Amino acid sequence: MSNVKVNRRKFLKMLGWGGAGTALAGCDMPTTVTLEEGKEEVVSYLMPEEYVIPGIGVWYASTCTQCEAGCGLHGRVREGRVLKLEGNPDSPINHGNTCLMGQAGVQAHYNPDRITSPMMRKGGSLQNVSWDDAMAELSKRVGSASGLKGDRFGMVTGTVSGHQAVIIDELMSSVGSKNHYVTEVVNTSVWSAVCRDMLGDELPTLNFDKAGVVLSFGADFMGTWTSPVHYMGEYAKFRKGKRGALIQIEPKMTLTGGNADLWLAANPGTEGALALGIANFILDRGWNVNDVPSSVRKSLQQYNLSAVEKVTGIATDKIKRIASMLTERGPALVIAGASTENHENGYDSVASVMLLNLIMGSVGSTIEANSRFPEKSMRAKQGSSKDLLLLAKSLKAKSLDVLFTYNTNPSYSAPAVLQLDEGLSNVGFKVAFSMFPDETTVKADLVLPIFSGMEDWGTHVAAYGAGEPTLSLQQPLMEPLYKETRGFGDLMLNILKMRSKDFDKFADYYGYIQTAVVNMPANVVGSVTGDHADMWTNILQTGVIKAKGEKGSLTPKLVEMKYKPQQENAGYPMHLIPSTGLGLWDGRHANLPWLQEAPDQISKVVWGSWAELHPKKAAELGLKNGDYVRVTSASGSVEAQVYVHKGIHPDAVAVPVGQGHTEYGRYAKGRGVNPMKILNPLMERRTGELATYATRVTVSNAHQHGKLVHMGGSEIQMGRKFVRTVSADSLRRTEGEV
Amino acid sequence: MSLKNILENFSYFRRDAEMGGHHEYEHRFGMAIDLDICTGCNSCSTACYAENNLAVVGKDKFEKGQAMHWLRIERYWDEIEGDFPEQGAKFIPMMCQQCGAATCEPVCPVAATYHTPDGLNAQVYNRCIGSRYCSNNCPFRVRYFNFWSYYEDSWPEPLNMQLNPDLSVRDKGVMEKCTYCIQRIRVAKDTAAREERTLVDGDITTACQQACPTDAIVFGDTMDPKSKVSKMWAKHQIHRGPVTQKKDKANGEVRGYRVFDELNVDPSTMYLERVRDTEV
Repeated sequence: MSNVKVNRRKFLKMLGWGGAGTALAGCDMPTTVTLEEGKEEVVSYLMPEEYVIPGIGVWYASTCTQCEAGCGLHGRVREGRVLKLEGNPDSPINHGNTCLMGQAGVQAHYNPDRITSPMMRKGGSLQNVSWDDAMAELSKRVGSASGLKGDRFGMVTGTVSGHQAVIIDELMSSVGSKNHYVTEVVNTSVWSAVCRDMLGDELPTLNFDKAGVVLSFGADFMGTWTSPVHYMGEYAKFRKGKRGALIQIEPKMTLTGGNADLWLAANPGTEGALALGIANFILDRGWNVNDVPSSVRKSLQQYNLSAVEKVTGIATDKIKRIASMLTERGPALVIAGASTENHENGYDSVASVMLLNLIMGSVGSTIEANSRFPEKSMRAKQGSSKDLLLLAKSLKAKSLDVLFTYNTNPSYSAPAVLQLDEGLSNVGFKVAFSMFPDETTVKADLVLPIFSGMEDWGTHVAAYGAGEPTLSLQQPLMEPLYKETRGFGDLMLNILKMRSKDFDKFADYYGYIQTAVVNMPANVVGSVTGDHADMWTNILQTGVIKAKGEKGSLTPKLVEMKYKPQQENAGYPMHLIPSTGLGLWDGRHANLPWLQEAPDQISKVVWGSWAELHPKKAAELGLKNGDYVRVTSASGSVEAQVYVHKGIHPDAVAVPVGQGHTEYGRYAKGRGVNPMKILNPLMERRTGELATYATRVTVSNAHQHGKLVHMGGSEIQMGRKFVRTVSADSLRRTEGEV
Repeated sequence: MSLKNILENFSYFRRDAEMGGHHEYEHRFGMAIDLDICTGCNSCSTACYAENNLAVVGKDKFEKGQAMHWLRIERYWDEIEGDFPEQGAKFIPMMCQQCGAATCEPVCPVAATYHTPDGLNAQVYNRCIGSRYCSNNCPFRVRYFNFWSYYEDSWPEPLNMQLNPDLSVRDKGVMEKCTYCIQRIRVAKDTAAREERTLVDGDITTACQQACPTDAIVFGDTMDPKSKVSKMWAKHQIHRGPVTQKKDKANGEVRGYRVFDELNVDPSTMYLERVRDTEV
């Protein structure tokens, strides 16, 4: 905050010490001298800093950075401290609500394990250095005199958007490198690829509220699919009124599955066959649906009911029921997520799912063209696991000399067999822009501690704009906690200044953003008007700029279905499900105590890893809750305590991603296991994404028992009727269309 | 309460629970939670941690049942014969129900838990001696005892800077529980008083209600007939006082119910039944 003259944090300190000074007055201490820095004035409560009214919380608009959804926030600031985060009602993404990860944003900010000083590797270990030394080293390695040029420079980040994406692009083009790896393990890359190819739009707008029935093949839209808070809001609309029905097909019950009207576990990797079977059945019946070209029709014929039952394990009467639900209860919306996407045949499966949308006429009703943010360079660069594979490959090939890492943790996420850690040691100079000592950061040669999401400036454009493309402003909610931290944008700007004089006109990233935002064309700044100062004030107050979107159109294109079954894997009979959830996400939130203590929504386990098994399989292996089980793939093994429940396919074992950190502070380190480490290096055939759900494993009894620490003494209600249920019929009679 | 007082004011003391019994209520705050749109995501619970200075206890103490989650999401499985829970799971946010005839109140030997004129079961931390009778008597199991001085290691610096100064951090030996965010109620009341008006519906949002991604939680004054929560209570034929059973309702099909209503505790939280589409 370059234009703020009074240092809020210092002010607070003075208040504290001023009190001490007064108390010492009896010892002949002059009361006008505070103990701190020998300053000769005491600022009393009667003269507070501008905007600070002791005891009154003030709310400032900002943007959540806990995941990529880009929810708008209001942060409560009292006496210079941010205390509580709530949703910004003006944001079209979250409409004033937040998820648990958003709530825990303050714990990332106030985390006791933050890095508070730049560090440089000296003699094998990281040692604190001054910013001058750190920047001198950086200048030596990447400044204009370094001669750094071309693809020997790489940068790996999580999803980026807004001016952050722009400034990273500036750096990449300044060096002349194309190697910006955007990695996210929790992604919807395959879904996006299919949407692009079959609808002509990577992330079409989904209208849950218009749908009468939603058929989801593993899309955990309440948990980890694109924009959970937004979709939960949409889900509420979908359930009210005529009350749509939700059918979920997935091998392990997710939060969304837990809320479904019908939950079915198809054999893992056969979801595409099931979708084709449903499509074939609907077309066979000659129901009033969109017809398909005869070539496509022909390719579907092999998916008759009995064949599909055999492949998927879903009984024919269930397939018929789903088909009739889609036709009777429409408009239908059919979606696919992680457990369908992340197989070797993921693309084909998702394409099969999309076929259902085309024949049910969802396109144009429940699926509409996305309204894109008008400024192309600021749109979100969405992360993928393909980039993780590409990064590992480049590292192994020793094709990078300098690597910047920011807001991602490839060293934790990459399967062990990719040997990413060994690859990292091939890079001559690794710079980590990081808040925490995570697995990737501790391997860096230069660690630059950055501001938290509550200290930094930024702009964000959500990948899924919910039909209303918005620029969401992130503004500091308080002064930086630590003197020796810097903004990521400021550092990027500094590095650019080392290379070119073009950026000298910007004093800092704040100035850069402010100049850029107020000078944006009218179609971006939308309704925000007035002179620059007015505009800026307005934007700071509302936190969101609603842009005039570029609404595309959907061009549905049918392709011949080439669904391929999964390959059998003899010797490894079980499917490993590295599940992700709303909470620890991909492991990035394992250092937040609230989220460690928030029970997993389905298993209710806290503070550790577990392995979910079906009672049938558990009985076969002689396992009960709390027993340790060894899960072994061709690439390694992990051990975890078993949680036995029926919401999982009997041939699958689910081990959640998130724990098993070897670094990452006191709350995360050395807790549980990381299933990503034992994944085989399998790729989705069409998109090159990491097929995270394709690894086959064996499961064996580790003959060890411990108490499974989870919430709740009883798994069933024992007739106590805490949660009562009523039929949808009855609801329609009593509440009807609302 | 002398005999003379009772005799003189007999009609006042024999008022029905619907009329507030012997309490002179200013407000009776209540909730309505729609279990059909509650997804069980835990956002409310985490918001409660953020708002109410709830201690994080860690794995070992959690195992002993010493977690301090004032608001917890309970998940129940159906008792099914089949191999799969085809109808999903059942979730319910469970917190103090602020009973009108609370079982926790009369057993407190030091009157640390008492009934406020707002209809809340308040806990006076300074008065609490930690007998835990109240917790033992609570059918909902929503009272949480400080077995340890959690403040010593729950908020290592600078996590302590997040603590909400509007309410205290509790020490060992004290019982605590959901307050319906009483500090937010106070702020709203103060603001209304400053603006020389009465409280109106929407002035107060609890932390859980504010966070809920599906807006499943509705909070308000059940004595204000214009409040959303009152309207919901009326629509679902739930009224103050003892037991509202399905058979007593004019339309037995409406979804509203109160957990453990049969115990005559007069809970202030109404739940709407989870809907199941049996045709699917």
